[in-house]
Amino acid sequence: MEITVVAEPALRLVGIEKHYGPTVAVAGIDLDVIEGEFVTLLGPSGCGKTTTLGLIAGFFHPTAGEIYLKGRPVVDLPSFQRDIGVVFQDYALFPHMTAAENVAFGLRMRKVPPAEIAKRVADALDLVQLAGLGERRPLQMSGGQRQRVALARALVINPTVLLLDEPLSNLDLKLREEMRVEIASIQRRLGITTVFVTHDQSEALVMSNRIAVMNAGRIEQIGDPSDIYERPATRFVAEFIGRMNLFSGQVTAARTVKTARGLEIGVPVPQEIAAGAAVHVAVRPERTHLLRDKPADGLALRGTLRQVLYLGPTREFHVELEGGERGFVEAPNDGAAPPFEPGASVWLAAPFANCRVLPART
Amino acid sequence: MATRFLSARWRANDGPWALLRAVVIFVYVFSLGPILITAAVSFNQTNRSFFPPRGFSLRWWERAFAPEWIDPLLFSLKLGSLTALLATLLALPLAFALYRYRFAGRNALIALTLGPLMLPTLVTGVGLLQLFQYLGWREYIGFTALLVGHVVICMPFAVRTVSISLQTLPPNVELAAASLGATRWLAMRHVVLPLIKSGVVAGAVFAFIHSFTDVNLSIFLARPGEVPITVKILGFLEFGFAPTLAAVSVITLLLPLILVAIVERVSGLGDFIYGDHRRG
Repeated sequence: MEITVVAEPALRLVGIEKHYGPTVAVAGIDLDVIEGEFVTLLGPSGCGKTTTLGLIAGFFHPTAGEIYLKGRPVVDLPSFQRDIGVVFQDYALFPHMTAAENVAFGLRMRKVPPAEIAKRVADALDLVQLAGLGERRPLQMSGGQRQRVALARALVINPTVLLLDEPLSNLDLKLREEMRVEIASIQRRLGITTVFVTHDQSEALVMSNRIAVMNAGRIEQIGDPSDIYERPATRFVAEFIGRMNLFSGQVTAARTVKTARGLEIGVPVPQEIAAGAAVHVAVRPERTHLLRDKPADGLALRGTLRQVLYLGPTREFHVELEGGERGFVEAPNDGAAPPFEPGASVWLAAPFANCRVLPART
Repeated sequence: MATRFLSARWRANDGPWALLRAVVIFVYVFSLGPILITAAVSFNQTNRSFFPPRGFSLRWWERAFAPEWIDPLLFSLKLGSLTALLATLLALPLAFALYRYRFAGRNALIALTLGPLMLPTLVTGVGLLQLFQYLGWREYIGFTALLVGHVVICMPFAVRTVSISLQTLPPNVELAAASLGATRWLAMRHVVLPLIKSGVVAGAVFAFIHSFTDVNLSIFLARPGEVPITVKILGFLEFGFAPTLAAVSVITLLLPLILVAIVERVSGLGDFIYGDHRRG
């Protein structure tokens, strides 16, 4: 006997669109977030990610589509009936209330008995490591502490979904790196379904179960962090996440790719891409290396080394390829002198397994 | 550290600072001077308004506290308080509508609301008097007409201060309140109103002071027995400036000052009176 358990997703977006007059902020989004999952909406500013978050929160009404929270359609429910927790980019703490009062607000609105409020507020402040700071006002706290208050305030109400709108972008680098680990670990511990909005790819990679890369109001690709990084589906995703050598060209009859400048790249082209189709060949700079002699196998592009950049842990070798294309190799800095000097004639090489051929969008 | 820096600046820029000092002294002489002279005159022993005062007596003060003066004073207090209350209650939703929403007729509404600031109150007064007469509401001339007129001329102050405090409202706090389960009304009561409180209180105080000190409009809408203190003072001036008037003037001056001091103590007007932007 086969038992299939189809869990209701905690959050489901179906065909969500948001237009502002002629401007389309969100152009049709379908997304299922399962219970306990941490999903990141990642994209450049203006891609519609924050608008999508606002639509889930109920701050505005979608032009089209439906949103389900635990199976319940909520598009017509006002924000205060949706049972969501939101952490805003600027935290949006209530400046006239203490940290504890801020955290208690959602419970007060839910008419939780005072004794229970006190206990849950203390627990929430404890959870975000602010025990004992409840009597401070937001203005007396550091940016990092305010952020923790905002998180505690959103978590204490046990929302169906936790929404985080670029909560780390106002913190300095060190604190940001600490907080992303901490937020992710709190999220895993509580098992709370979370949608996180960011433009910072490393945040997305570190924190998420799945990443939805957004561009121009749509999801370009959705997958777990390694999917997105290792197997980008489009040029946009390939370029937006990490760094990439990209060569644009056309598939030849011989199943190679020829760039407009005449560089022929002998990379196996997947069956489903027809000869003549416009494609991009994508290969990560850290998955390539420089050779003096042409390798027997794999991608090999001949060129002249133009520049060596010293970045501390790594070096970047920028190569001008035959035909004028440019490529670069990122190599760990092992302490030895770089094997090549600018001006050297080199081969930019990579195993074919590290190369991807992406269909160009028309 | 700070003082050293400051004193260095003093030395470096002596010229401009001397000028500033001169301006400050000038302002104080001409704003405080008349008040001090009036106060001094009220203690004259003679029945002429000499300055410096000749002799010392409190008899003019005694007279100032007679019903002849106390009644208009109480009348003005009542009028000013009611005006402040009504103007602020009307200004709150108006400021919200004007500041938050874009709608047809918004500019017209702004012009109508803030118009009385630009218009000479004298003209508003004459206009209101004619309106009341035209409508056959003669019996309302007096307190009711004064209240209407004062609300019209005082509301712009309240609308301004409330709008300003709405602009300094931190963004997203209302959305945050909504996401935490607060209805619009609860978000208003627990988040928005406490945060714009100083603007609302300042608006009420300005409205009160403007009402309490108005003479231009009141002069047309008063009737015997329903006379604000300012109109009463103006009428009495026909008989020359008696020391009684000096005493009454000092009282009239102190009342709003005391009010401002109390409000400042209780709720703080810092933002609006001193242009300070601390918020707590």
